[in-house]
Amino acid sequence: MKRKLIKLHIMDLENNKAQMRKGILEYCILSVLSRSSCYASDIIKELKEAEVIVVEGTLYPLLTRQKNAGLLSYRWEESQQGPPRKYYELTEEGRNYLAELDKSWQGLVDSVNQIRTR
Amino acid sequence: MMDKTININISGTLFQIDEEAFRILRDYLLAINNRFRNVQGGLETIEDIESRIAEIFQSQKGLAGVITKENVEAMIAIIGKPEDFDHGDYEAVPPPYTSQKKRMYRNPEDKIISGVSSGIGAYLNTDPVIFRVLFVLFTVFFGTGFLLYIILWIALPEAKSDSQKREMYGDNFHSARSQNLSTDKINNVNGSVNTPSYSSSSSVGNAFNEIFRAIGRVCYIILRIFLIIIGVSLVLTGFLAILSFVLVFIFHYPGTFSTHEFGTNFVYIPDFLNYIVTPSAAPWIIALTTIAFILPMLALIYWGVKMIFWFRAKDGVVSLAGFVIWVLSVAALSIILFNEGISFAETGKISSEKIFTHTPDTLYIKAGKKVSDLKFDKELSLTHEAYTVFINEEKKEIYIRPHLNVNNFWDNVVKVEVRKRSTGRTQFEAMKKAEGLSYNFDITGDTLILDEYFEIPSGRKWSADNVSIDLSIPVGTILKLDSASENLLHAYSGYDNDDNTFSPGWEYRNRIWTLTDEGIKPLSTHSSK
Repeated sequence: MKRKLIKLHIMDLENNKAQMRKGILEYCILSVLSRSSCYASDIIKELKEAEVIVVEGTLYPLLTRQKNAGLLSYRWEESQQGPPRKYYELTEEGRNYLAELDKSWQGLVDSVNQIRTR
Repeated sequence: MMDKTININISGTLFQIDEEAFRILRDYLLAINNRFRNVQGGLETIEDIESRIAEIFQSQKGLAGVITKENVEAMIAIIGKPEDFDHGDYEAVPPPYTSQKKRMYRNPEDKIISGVSSGIGAYLNTDPVIFRVLFVLFTVFFGTGFLLYIILWIALPEAKSDSQKREMYGDNFHSARSQNLSTDKINNVNGSVNTPSYSSSSSVGNAFNEIFRAIGRVCYIILRIFLIIIGVSLVLTGFLAILSFVLVFIFHYPGTFSTHEFGTNFVYIPDFLNYIVTPSAAPWIIALTTIAFILPMLALIYWGVKMIFWFRAKDGVVSLAGFVIWVLSVAALSIILFNEGISFAETGKISSEKIFTHTPDTLYIKAGKKVSDLKFDKELSLTHEAYTVFINEEKKEIYIRPHLNVNNFWDNVVKVEVRKRSTGRTQFEAMKKAEGLSYNFDITGDTLILDEYFEIPSGRKWSADNVSIDLSIPVGTILKLDSASENLLHAYSGYDNDDNTFSPGWEYRNRIWTLTDEGIKPLSTHSSK
């Protein structure tokens, strides 16, 4: 099979939903961490309770990405039960970013509500 | 009975795992690896997940005990399979359906002329070079390859959207796509994105592809020129046809539908239509005829423009709608015309006759009602049929000049017979109509009084109505006519003359005629002009 590269411009609903959920998920992660620093498993627990995620695997790439973007930092903490675990916290940049997200989220909610209740 | 166990190291922690669980775990880790390997920061994610796996295993078994299939499945349920990580890092979430219906498209991603071969290749999951060779090969046989190619080019849509591409590749879409994505990477590394990469193709295929690419360009240019010429002629044809149609039907431009028998009569079909068909049907006939004619012409122009500028538009729905409208118009028109035609199906005749009480040597014919006293807007002459129609638009009345036949009657008697004829759906209807035709004739002494025209009742459409007057007189009788009644005689077509010395015409004004054995003849050749 030989084909030239396909540039994908997928703009279907599934993708939109995924993008939206991803954005919200990132916002939720930052929000959880804004209250207190915690392990990945703590974040997972909270997000699962809020039914934002179904499986844990969703979270890890996001944490990595946010860490690489400088929004999060982590330190290794020894665990009694096993290998050392990453202990995440928000950086200064992350807090500023979260504040911006809070604002834009509120703006979005207001806009949507305004339109939906009209 | 102990199963074979394997020692593995996950994220720095050693576990014992049985063989079955190991296989599942290995596949799972491989899937995770494939999922994140090419993502930025993916290795770290993989480490995180492995670390979490270790943590879960530890919480389930501690450091002792053998990891079983159940443990692994429980772990996978917690972390989830890669396809459940519902977000896109740089590629989209796979579609929710796995089995694709397959359709043939032209492949815009790998094309030489239009992507037909490549599209067939994708459809049949085969190398497109094969079809390129076949097309060229069969072009040698009376151009069948070329023709087939053009047909496919027109028939096959281009796979533009992603869902169309999925349909084009069918179930191979994901493999084709991932292959392309990895090709993408290779190309990016080499910095040669524009060079098509056929990593797995044979050198023969490559050479073929290059040759065909070159031939393809030349073919393409020739084809484009060819198509532009066809396009221009289509546009011109359509445009001129519509123009002439509009001129004739809207601006009443004479010429096409006119008769020039006396250089005076222009027949403008829509004007007369009202009197030929049921008046309520006339606007429909005109409208439907216009649609039935204009639509194909518009289509011609559109195709022409498309060929000239070579674009593809989402015109399927419009074309289909246009076609359906056209078919419906033609069907409706046929039904209406058929229905109108039926009203001419049966003929009804009524005749009445009067006989002169004595036989005069000289018979005077005078006109009763005269055309010269009529108010009419339109005149239509069918000279060969000796039939002249006058129409009064305001009163919607039709007057028709009948013809007078003069025959030899062997008895020494002068007899006038008037036959009225109409057509209708049934014979009864036709008879009724014929009865309705108003035509008067009378005899007073030596004088026969004939109306110069008969009248169709106001509002009633024309039904091939006709009135014929047969005057039977003995040979040698002299006929003296006034100018109006002579018009009836001028319509006389039974007169047949080989040597052409006399032909009934407007110029001929004699008014004194006689009946000979060969028919009627002017008594003197002096023109009364």
